[in-house]
Amino acid sequence: MITLEKRIKLVIDSNLEDVKLVSNVVNRLCTLGPLTDLEILHIELAVVESVNNVIKHAYNNERGHEVEIIFTLYADRVTFDVCDVGRTMDRKDRKETDKSPLEFDPTELNMLPERGLGLAIIREVMDDVAYSSCHDKNTLTLTKRFIVRETRR
Amino acid sequence: MINVRKEDGAVIVDLLVDRLDASIASNFRNKLIEIIKDGNTLIILNLTNMKFVDSSGLGAIVSGLKTLGARGDLTLCCIDERIMSMFRLTRMDRVFKIFKTEGEAISSISH
Repeated sequence: MITLEKRIKLVIDSNLEDVKLVSNVVNRLCTLGPLTDLEILHIELAVVESVNNVIKHAYNNERGHEVEIIFTLYADRVTFDVCDVGRTMDRKDRKETDKSPLEFDPTELNMLPERGLGLAIIREVMDDVAYSSCHDKNTLTLTKRFIVRETRR
Repeated sequence: MINVRKEDGAVIVDLLVDRLDASIASNFRNKLIEIIKDGNTLIILNLTNMKFVDSSGLGAIVSGLKTLGARGDLTLCCIDERIMSMFRLTRMDRVFKIFKTEGEAISSISH
């Protein structure tokens, strides 16, 4: 069977200032698929949020650790594996809650979220979000399926 | 990172960088809160230059809004339509008063 996927791996230091490198590359790579500009921007955001979470939570904002981002382009989807060898995500944080943090009351000033929206944004943008941990390596896999758009003949 | 100026009784804060993200959000939050603690209560954030914002950046703006509370107004203006989609995605378009132009934002404050 011939596989038609394309794959590229990026590695950055666990430094929030380097996340923009990933952001720019993800944006460019996504143009290889049949995605709209808005879809690409939102995917860029989802990947940025994932990488931010690794730096802040898996590595406790400590520099000097590797964050791996593997982009894979398939015929019908694109996936991003965001990998680290830091602290594993708590099980309670992996589970999708009944109420998304994005469902806040915009009129309740004191209840407006200042942080903690990253995972909710990722789930909002991507079609599938899966987390695994194996041999001390943690991987968050984000999948976006391509919508087949009708073209006029 | 920012430029601060006064127009018609309002303080206009121009974001000078094109990314308001986790790498600068904390610094931006501190600067915004400093402006508020200096006694400024009518603030317009001009986001003409902003080409990308993540949840940390949005959180920093929300911090400013919460610090201001009922004492004043924090209004946003000049947001690129692509960036507006990020506000909609995060439901932040329901939180802030957002105007297309700085002029409209200033008018809303003075009326």
